[in-house]
Amino acid sequence: MNTRKAKIQVKDLSKHFGELVVLSHMNFDIYDGEFLCVVGPTGCGKTTFCNVVTRLLPSTDGSVTVEDEPVNFKKHNIAFVFQEPSCLPWRTVWDNVKIGLEIKGYSKKDIKDKVSEVLELTGLTKFKDFFPNQISAGMKQRVAIARSFVTEPDMLLMDEPFGQLDTSTRFHIESSLVKLWERKKQTIIFVTHNLEEAVYMSERILVCTPKPTTIKKEVQVGHLPHPRDITDPEFVRIRREVTDLVRWW
Amino acid sequence: MDKRTNQLKTVAYNLLSVAIVALLWTMFAAWQNSPYFPSPAEIWKAFVGLATKGDIEGVSLSAHIWASLVRIFAGFVAACVLGIPLGLAMGLWPKLYNRTRAILEPIRFIPPIAWIPMAIVLLVGFGRYVFLIWLGAFFPIFITTLLSVTRVNPVHVNVAKVFGAKRSYIIRKIVIPSVLPDIATGMRVGLGIAWMCIVAAEMIGGEMVGIGRLILKYAELLRMGEIIVGMLVIGIIGFIMNEIFIMVENRLFRWRSEVSID
Ligand SMILES: Nc1ncnc2c1ncn2[C@@H]1O[C@H](COP(=O)(O)OP(=O)(O)OP(=O)(O)O)[C@@H](O)[C@H]1O
Ligand SMILES: [Mg+2]
Repeated sequence: MNTRKAKIQVKDLSKHFGELVVLSHMNFDIYDGEFLCVVGPTGCGKTTFCNVVTRLLPSTDGSVTVEDEPVNFKKHNIAFVFQEPSCLPWRTVWDNVKIGLEIKGYSKKDIKDKVSEVLELTGLTKFKDFFPNQISAGMKQRVAIARSFVTEPDMLLMDEPFGQLDTSTRFHIESSLVKLWERKKQTIIFVTHNLEEAVYMSERILVCTPKPTTIKKEVQVGHLPHPRDITDPEFVRIRREVTDLVRWW
Repeated sequence: MDKRTNQLKTVAYNLLSVAIVALLWTMFAAWQNSPYFPSPAEIWKAFVGLATKGDIEGVSLSAHIWASLVRIFAGFVAACVLGIPLGLAMGLWPKLYNRTRAILEPIRFIPPIAWIPMAIVLLVGFGRYVFLIWLGAFFPIFITTLLSVTRVNPVHVNVAKVFGAKRSYIIRKIVIPSVLPDIATGMRVGLGIAWMCIVAAEMIGGEMVGIGRLILKYAELLRMGEIIVGMLVIGIIGFIMNEIFIMVENRLFRWRSEVSID
């Protein structure tokens, strides 16, 4: 596994908000095409981590590089599903989903094809002309997910993206995400509280400590084939291992 | 109950409140029994006189209204043309505002009436009207624009940023749509204040037409009926403009959660 090429290198990364130390000397690599889950107690700095990785927030110390250089949104094809509601209220569902393609200068026809396809995938086709204030919280989350999928990013950050979804929709979108990843092998950083979700989807799970946050342990899941069976003994064993790790939060 | 009947009911209640106030007014005027407190009937008579025969100098009511409308419009447009871009610029580059704050903010608290002598000394004719109305309308428009830019949701900016959007895209497609509803509200408030400045402006404009001028003319004669007609005309036109503004806002900003006060 460690012979794989590192896509993102996190070196001695620290982030303070004034006196508050949130991230403390984190060191790890994320491999090219890896599906990485990050789990950790609430308030430990997972969102902060995503923001620092993308340089939406400056780090206090240390560095994060993508392909050996600082993140550059114009060069690296990135998508980010934010934890907080992020639909643009003045745009319809359709126009919200297409914004990334619009920015990246896709043709009208490409935009139309890609947006229709992703709306179908996320079950939003019927609501394409609705404004965000006319749809439910879960649907808004799906809009944000659709918006991130549609640009086919090389690097996808998802910060608790499925929190508002019911079990069946969640399962459906989880499976779609895994299929998408198997096909395209993007590098995915997926933040979640849901351990089963982490074990179900990812190749590797980073379990974080409470603040000041470092990595408590890495759990390898990559050897389980997809689609995973949540009753498989190995699946159950890994889930138990992760659960034991977080029991001490 | 469906929306239509609800609207009709609202209109009916508003008419009823007008009727009740008119009734109370009539009773109070009868009790006062003074030429300085005319009844609604006498005000109506003054209105008909002004509308058909014009004022003491023969200037018709519609000429007065038109003159004021043109002045209000000019001052208001000047306020928008200066206030919106300046507010946007200072919101986008807060240093610009922070470093000129000591000049801008004190001016905001000087009432337009206090500017009258300056306006007389520095300006002539139409410029005086426009200046005084501009003074009133500028600050609400400028300040709401400025504040709304600083309140743009950072997540919305980040959505575009992460996809590699340039600064110009973010300004055009994120900042501007976010702030438009607030600018519209600022414009509506500014328009209201423009009307509030019209009498002050027409005190010094020199010409004998305009609703404010009409009020001043009859104030010298102590004829309350015509004065109240002038006051009501300002109130009613302002009210109608405000309603039209709200209708346009609701149409344009349909995406906002229902904007209503009931
Ligand atoms: N802009 C900020 N200024 C000061 N403190 C901040 C700021 N942003 C986050 N924090 C603090 O950093 C810590 C980590 O916050 P963060 O949002 O990253 O947590 P999280 O792990 O994403 O939590 P959750 O699972 O609840 O989403 C919190 O204690 C929070 O108070
Ligand atoms: Mg978070």
